Amino acid sequence: MGERAPREAALVARSPIAPAPPATVEQGWEISARRSVARLRLTDATPLAKVLVRAAADGPVARGLEIRFGRAARDADGVLVVGSGPGEWLLLAPPGTAPEIARRVTARADGEFASTFDVTHGRALMRLSGAPASDALAKVCAIDLSDGVTPDGAAVRTSVAKLVTDLVRDDRGGEPSYLLHCERSSGQYLFDALLDAGDEFGVDVDGFVFPGV
Amino acid sequence: MTAVSARTGMTLRLEPQPGEVIDRNRPLEFTWNGQRFPAYHGDTIVSALAACGERIFSRSFKYHRPRGLLSASFLDPGCTVQVGDEPNVRGAHRRVEPGMVVSAQNVWPSLRYDVKSVNQVVGRFLTAGFYYKTFIKPQRLWPAYERVLRRFSSGGVVAKDSAHGYYDKRYAHPDVVVAGGGPAGMAAAVAAAEAGAAVLLVEEEYELGGHLRWGDAGQLEALRELRAAVAAAPGVEVMTNSVVNGRYDGNWLGIVQRNLPHVVERLVKARAKTLVVAPGLIERPYVFEGNDLPGVMLSTGVRRLVNLHAVKPGQRAVVLSANPEGDAAIDDLARAGVEVAKVVDGRRGPTIQRATGSRGVQAVECADGTVVDCDLLVTAVGWTAPTALLNMAGDRPVYSERAARFLPSLLPDDVLVAGGIAGDGPLEQLTEHARAVGREAAGRAAETARSLCAGIPQIAERRAGPPDPEPAVALPELPVEDHPALFFSGTRGFVDFSEDVTAKDLIAAAEEGYDSIELVKRYTTVTMGPSQGKLETVNAVAVLAAATGRTIAETGTTVWRPPYAPITLGALAGRIFEPVRHSPMQPWHEAAGATPLVAGAWIRPDSYGDPAGEVRAVRSGVGIIDVTPLGKFDLRGPDVPELLNQLYVNKWSRLDVGSVRYGVMCAEDGVVLDDGVTGRLAEDRYILTATSSGAATVQEWIESWLQTERPDWRIHVTPVTTAYASINVAGPRSRELLGRLVEDVDLANEAFPYMRVRVGRIAGVDGCFMWRIGFTGELSYELHVPASHGLRVWEALLERGADLGVRPFGVEAQRILRLEKGHFIVGQDTDGLTQAYGAGLGWAVKLDKPDFAGRTELVWQSRRDDYFRLVGLQPVDGSVVPPEASQIVLGRGIAGRITSSRMSPTLGRSICLGFVAPSLTGPGTQVTVRLPDGGEVAATVMPQHAHFDPEGTRQRG
Repeated sequence: MGERAPREAALVARSPIAPAPPATVEQGWEISARRSVARLRLTDATPLAKVLVRAAADGPVARGLEIRFGRAARDADGVLVVGSGPGEWLLLAPPGTAPEIARRVTARADGEFASTFDVTHGRALMRLSGAPASDALAKVCAIDLSDGVTPDGAAVRTSVAKLVTDLVRDDRGGEPSYLLHCERSSGQYLFDALLDAGDEFGVDVDGFVFPGV
Repeated sequence: MTAVSARTGMTLRLEPQPGEVIDRNRPLEFTWNGQRFPAYHGDTIVSALAACGERIFSRSFKYHRPRGLLSASFLDPGCTVQVGDEPNVRGAHRRVEPGMVVSAQNVWPSLRYDVKSVNQVVGRFLTAGFYYKTFIKPQRLWPAYERVLRRFSSGGVVAKDSAHGYYDKRYAHPDVVVAGGGPAGMAAAVAAAEAGAAVLLVEEEYELGGHLRWGDAGQLEALRELRAAVAAAPGVEVMTNSVVNGRYDGNWLGIVQRNLPHVVERLVKARAKTLVVAPGLIERPYVFEGNDLPGVMLSTGVRRLVNLHAVKPGQRAVVLSANPEGDAAIDDLARAGVEVAKVVDGRRGPTIQRATGSRGVQAVECADGTVVDCDLLVTAVGWTAPTALLNMAGDRPVYSERAARFLPSLLPDDVLVAGGIAGDGPLEQLTEHARAVGREAAGRAAETARSLCAGIPQIAERRAGPPDPEPAVALPELPVEDHPALFFSGTRGFVDFSEDVTAKDLIAAAEEGYDSIELVKRYTTVTMGPSQGKLETVNAVAVLAAATGRTIAETGTTVWRPPYAPITLGALAGRIFEPVRHSPMQPWHEAAGATPLVAGAWIRPDSYGDPAGEVRAVRSGVGIIDVTPLGKFDLRGPDVPELLNQLYVNKWSRLDVGSVRYGVMCAEDGVVLDDGVTGRLAEDRYILTATSSGAATVQEWIESWLQTERPDWRIHVTPVTTAYASINVAGPRSRELLGRLVEDVDLANEAFPYMRVRVGRIAGVDGCFMWRIGFTGELSYELHVPASHGLRVWEALLERGADLGVRPFGVEAQRILRLEKGHFIVGQDTDGLTQAYGAGLGWAVKLDKPDFAGRTELVWQSRRDDYFRLVGLQPVDGSVVPPEASQIVLGRGIAGRITSSRMSPTLGRSICLGFVAPSLTGPGTQVTVRLPDGGEVAATVMPQHAHFDPEGTRQRG
């Protein structure tokens, strides 16, 4: 073994999306401390713990999660459970809780073949909120965002600005709000594309606020 | 009213009109051909010019004849102008703005005296097919012909430094789209909205209202009521100055929207559940000699000019009227103070013979032989039903002799018609019909929505109760009124004003044998101009019918296809969304001034300015490279070894925890698909890596096996390419450097030998894994760090290794290093035909495995000896680097090619990999490489691919 490493500076996780100034560090993440009350707001929510679960669509794990493909809802612990694919779920929870969330799911497996993956660092996550959110999104996403087809709690895998994106409608305060989830490497691209699409609606960057889910 | 400073006055501006759209409190100025002109807000370019007495706005396409106002609408073929840097602007539609710079297109030296009008004199030689017949031979001269002919075309100009405006796109999913915002369209939209539908109402003009806008007091009152109803209706989105440009399967509509302040043009891609087509009727020009002279106008054009823009269209007029709308124009002219010298009633037999004049109408010769001096000839001879959207929905409209226009026939369930295109009748009857259409459209849309949602359980389960089917709305019958069939008088006159096609051209084409309307269209280009047949089609059919002795119904029409109206390339392009991918270290690379390399969607550092120096740093000390794009897959489950055995040509049954193995994947045809290493991190966890460019292919390949071939295998595969920042630490001092950062892994050779993987903590970051492999041939470690901490580890390596001379190296240095080591790159050194043995991978292929992808083909290849092989090559003259893809020649034939070549900083000579014919594979064989400049160099085939350290002692050290 090599020489002992000296004490390292505190670990700071960085999102792929450059924080809008002023930047700050909270709970181990570099985030934007900007606050906005614009009618359309875009927030980098990458610090959220993201746990991907794979299991049978109708097994014990699925029954425990209680969310089917295409829907999203919070469980009793406040974890947002997204039915992101057939036999696939994405769990979103406060930063730093990924190992605990994964453990809880695995405990429910009851012998079933199930896997959990911490994809916190592998994905970018952002939230577009405000009255014009659907109109802004409709500039870069072809799906029908009307309440009848994409109601609050809908989850779809689609193309946003030509990028494969998981889209979750998760309204807040009576206003439309969307979570957009993509490969980390294209996070800045998607963020910029949403700013471009939202420009006519006065979109502004709003910093991440803990616990964020 | 503010005084205007332009030299020219609005001498033909009328007193305020009840329906005028100009704002007399907001005067403005613009320039036309360099001269300042006054206007009011709400004026079109051409209405403002006409108010100042201008009559000529363009020169025609072929003969450069002067052209003026015809329809005073978007379609007006004689009013295409250049606005600033924007060519082909519809001058009779585009509203004038303060300071606008407007000019005539393609005239020389001026609009008034255009020398190219000499084409008129030789016009008899410029008949249909003139270009095809004249410039076909000799073919080699076509480029020269093209340059000259282009000077005669009528398009405007775009400067090369023209600013790119903001064009974008939007998706929409309305229940009902109503195409056309006249009275019927408005009534249908309101009724549909009141029935609960989300409605998109699209209107080509700047305001809703259609012909009501230039109507009498009663019609203006009806317009106010309808506009108020639209404003009050819930869920109607109105798009003015917009057009439904095409209808495709499933009511997929392309709508060009131009009424946004911040967007030049927006393409709205709308998926409508039902489409109501309510475009109204377009007034048809009359074909007679001199019918294109400035001063010959359609009655609707005159009424627009008088009522909307308060412009006096002339001083002394002859009116040819065959319908009540034409009669109304006579009243408008009288009110505008125009002397109506003669009215010819088209309902009572012969009409007019010709109009004469040089730069505009000066006299009209009637069929009864009388000649009337005038400067305005107004025609109202009938209507064209713009059935384009119906054609696009599969309808073939039928000709009604009674009404002298085409009527819809069989429409699909999701398309309905309202207004003049559907039938005739008084305003109340048409709006009542339209309301029924709107309700029915809403009902059909609701039905469609129900069936769509029923197919989506996630939505269907939320809807309570069984669906109530919508009762069908009875659509009242609309009458079809008689109208005289007036198309042409004699055999002269223009049928297509945009393309300069005359009736004589059509008759000549018919005589030459082009007797089908589809052939005539293509031969003469009639209906192929910017108005796309909306003014011309029916007249063209009528002229051809007469020339061939058939009826109009027998002759039929051409098929209208998208676009309905011209669309800009900007609108088609929209915003440019091209996803890019960056590693977590990208900010560092940018700050370091790395030369970017575009590798698929990834942006990577090609070098930091000195690839050769970067190579030397790795060979002599230590270097680090960002290899994040390397494809990485997390594999879990008991059947992972089965999958690996299936995907790779080599054996995977026994891979101990902590070991990594190199593997080659072949497609079913034995062609090398990808290569990489796979390591076993824990009992039930493997990481499979793929090449950076092959990652997506490998993912699809894996999923194809798991989802379609072996769904019984218990395996979960998750792509984790971007979950980890990947850094290769390479060079003889890499262990020393890593030792300063790794806390819980013994890096000693015995504890962590070549081809092993360890999980540990690097620079304080947990959850990292590192494997001892490398592409460079040096002692090296590939570090995979949770991506959010990638930059931290990268910076720590550089900081802690400063005394070791650590340097970052880019993709170019890596390519040199791997070529020195003789490692091939799939896709660079192999192609779509390279099977495993040809790439020199025979050692890896284990044909004794019962099955794997590509096995059958590889068994066959293993029995042959006739394939080209990848070999190491060194030019005899080591200073020559044969460019990649240089041919290897043997006699007169091609016997291979160079696939990779570089100057090796380590060896001080050029090195290559290349494919050679079977007879040339022996070590020491001299081959001839032909360079792109025709020169030839000799190269020697090496005993192995590696040019440097073939024994591999350095990487195992």
